[in-house]
Amino acid sequence: MESFLRTFSDQTINGLVIGNIYAFIAVGLALIFGVGNLINFAHGSVFMVGAYVGWVCMTWWNLPLAVAFVVVTLVCALVGVAIERFALYPLRGAPPIAPLLATIGVSFMIDQAVQLLFSRNPHAFPNPLIEHRFQVGGVTVGAIDLLIAGVGVAAALTLYSFLRFTRWGWALRATAQDREAALQMGVNVNAVNRMTFAIAAALGGIAGLLVGMYFNTVYPTMSFQATFKGFAAVVLGGLGNVPGAVLGGLLLGLIESYGVAIFGATYRNLFAFIILIAVLVWRPNGLFSLKPRVTQEPLTGTFIAKGRPVPTPKWLIATLIGVAFVVPILAPNPYLLQILTNAWLLGMVALSVTLVTGTAGQTSLGQAGFMAIGAYASALLVLRLGWPFELSMIAAAFISAILGTLLVFPAFRLRAAYIAIATLAIGEIVNQVILNWEGLTQGAMGIAGLPPPSLLGWQMIRPHEIYYFSLALLCLAALVQWRLVRSPLGRTWRSLREDEVAAQAFGVNLNRYKTLAFGVAAWLAGLSGAVTGHMYTYISHETFTNTTSILALTMVILGGMGNLLGAIVGAVVLTALPEVFRGLADYRYLVYGLTLLLVIRFRPQGLLGTD
Amino acid sequence: MSASNGQPLLQLKNIDTAYGPIQVHFDLNLHVHAGEIVCLLGGNASGKSTTMKVILGLVRPLRGSVLFDGRAITGLPTPQIVRLGIGSVPEARRIFAQMTVRENLLMGAYHRKDRRAIAEDYERMLTLFPRLKERLHQRGGTLSGGEQQMLAIARALMGRPRLICMDEPTMGLSPLYVDRVLGLIQQINAHGYTIFMVEQNAHLALQIAHRGYVLQNGRIVMEGNAQALLNDPEIQDAYLGEKQ
Repeated sequence: MESFLRTFSDQTINGLVIGNIYAFIAVGLALIFGVGNLINFAHGSVFMVGAYVGWVCMTWWNLPLAVAFVVVTLVCALVGVAIERFALYPLRGAPPIAPLLATIGVSFMIDQAVQLLFSRNPHAFPNPLIEHRFQVGGVTVGAIDLLIAGVGVAAALTLYSFLRFTRWGWALRATAQDREAALQMGVNVNAVNRMTFAIAAALGGIAGLLVGMYFNTVYPTMSFQATFKGFAAVVLGGLGNVPGAVLGGLLLGLIESYGVAIFGATYRNLFAFIILIAVLVWRPNGLFSLKPRVTQEPLTGTFIAKGRPVPTPKWLIATLIGVAFVVPILAPNPYLLQILTNAWLLGMVALSVTLVTGTAGQTSLGQAGFMAIGAYASALLVLRLGWPFELSMIAAAFISAILGTLLVFPAFRLRAAYIAIATLAIGEIVNQVILNWEGLTQGAMGIAGLPPPSLLGWQMIRPHEIYYFSLALLCLAALVQWRLVRSPLGRTWRSLREDEVAAQAFGVNLNRYKTLAFGVAAWLAGLSGAVTGHMYTYISHETFTNTTSILALTMVILGGMGNLLGAIVGAVVLTALPEVFRGLADYRYLVYGLTLLLVIRFRPQGLLGTD
Repeated sequence: MSASNGQPLLQLKNIDTAYGPIQVHFDLNLHVHAGEIVCLLGGNASGKSTTMKVILGLVRPLRGSVLFDGRAITGLPTPQIVRLGIGSVPEARRIFAQMTVRENLLMGAYHRKDRRAIAEDYERMLTLFPRLKERLHQRGGTLSGGEQQMLAIARALMGRPRLICMDEPTMGLSPLYVDRVLGLIQQINAHGYTIFMVEQNAHLALQIAHRGYVLQNGRIVMEGNAQALLNDPEIQDAYLGEKQ
């Protein structure tokens, strides 16, 4: 009993300390959401920058901790201002989804830049504090715990006084509450925006430094986790609610800490995602709000820009398909074929995104989750039950459609940015479940030895075989989808996209048509995942990550949302570009991020126009 | 009340405005002299509120110019226009709901740097609006509609504007507060503030205004002395709804 109490109180301290860091991240997100009505996907990247700047200060320059804090604060504030100025300010007046996507592009770029500068590998973060642990009434507390708590309290008090008693703090609050009224009081709301980013980024950077010290390590992938922990905390507390964000952060820290103590360390990240979805679905205004519902966003939030599709005559499409089919004959280069095969398989995923996001208007960032379901389903059917590939592939697509739709179903009432976060979290949950359901999926080991795709005894081993197979699947998928979006069903989907309320008023059952859209999309992504898995012969919980989901959406934006040919062109361009310019391969994500930023800013309707 | 030196304080010249393909104003001309109460009347979607937005720089006109004190302010950013001396009582009041009454008042003086004078003005507002004094530390959102309107007017006054633009100051108020607000507008005008107001309730507005304009489908169709407009049979028919 006593040891239970000891563990319990130790876990509580742990949870509060980690929660304190989450609170730092969440407060920044809440400020940015409050002032700019923007969900900032680049926040975790700034957090990581803070960690690395701190690491540089302490290991390269041997600066004292206090100086490192100052440097981190200043550098991150500058990064925040730069993000606002160069990525977001030019998009003012654009639909709300545009700046959100821009922050995704920024996060790709920052993450890759950090990797290029400091390598992918983790670095050890020295702990400059005395390694002493205090015993306080049966609870062990380390110096680092006290430091984090102290910094947390100091930051909270500073921020509170700033918001409450200073001119700029008032300007910030006024802008958050009513932007236009603030303008009419003479507040320069653009400057307020920039200041908000500076504050949020500084807080995020400090959190990064603290995390680095706490876990004694810095690594590039800490960025995405931080963004998501921040989202979960901020959603718990109510979007845009700063004190709520602090409470949400502490609560998330405690839940994680107890959860890990009960279920084990590999479950750590699952809690945040589940909390995120559950709160978004059941209490979208946060736990501490009396109002159960989130204020509705503008109804047409999905489209970046309206535009007509660039006319593509039938002969052109026929020629393109013809060219694609003779490539292996004219240029039988296995490397080229491998890249194009990847493009065809990702093209199918892009088609699924363009259906659900472009045609039906539900921004999906969870497509990789459906791929993972498809890949695992097919792998298990073949390896455990001895099914032939052609059957398992089809079954996997249906399993992905059913499971995928069930997973997204609770989030159907969410819109625009919220559905984007929810689907991203769902994709992540799929991977976390794969990681933890060892009995079924072999957990972190992954599944090796998948047989190559085959069709009626024809084993596709050589590059051109799988090339033709995936190209044929892609053409078939595009044809079916083309028929679907031209049918009355397609028209109904577009009505959801344009105005859900109006569609409902005309008797459209929203849930039914969203189910159909996500079902078809998950089917297609699952099929692509199954083929991809067998092509790789090895899959794990890290094969189909959120990066793939974001990449698929980027392809669709590049080609033009809702535009089928555009999705495929986007897939080819983004898959091939870094390979064609061989020097770019190392800068792949810089290219993706930059593409996203440039397209959103200069050609928001995409290369071939939205449809 | 006529102009002292002939040059109007505010002048809109040949304004054309459009939201995308929909044109709102067609060659709009109007002016306000220092010391006047001028009202802009018109029905729904006649372009009244857009006129306010053009003056405040929230909407940029396609053509034409806005002159304030003889200086072109067309296209200037809103904060700069506010600093030049145009205060605003926005449509639906737009009180900062989560900020206290005191904070709301001081936000009105946000663009001013003269701390001592701000403190004086603050005290003056509390004497002028005893109701607000009672609620200084309450959040703006908890006030009644009428109290919020008072706060919005006091907030605008805190900026020491040379011109106050009021967008439908009586909208949604109880009859008691409508009278109070109108009385208040007359009172602050008597203190030397120039007022340009947009109103749907023509009858009430013309009772306190010196001059008025009637806006219909984006065009000024009538203008003149408030008393003359009140007595004009056409106005009575179309806007006052009085067919005695």
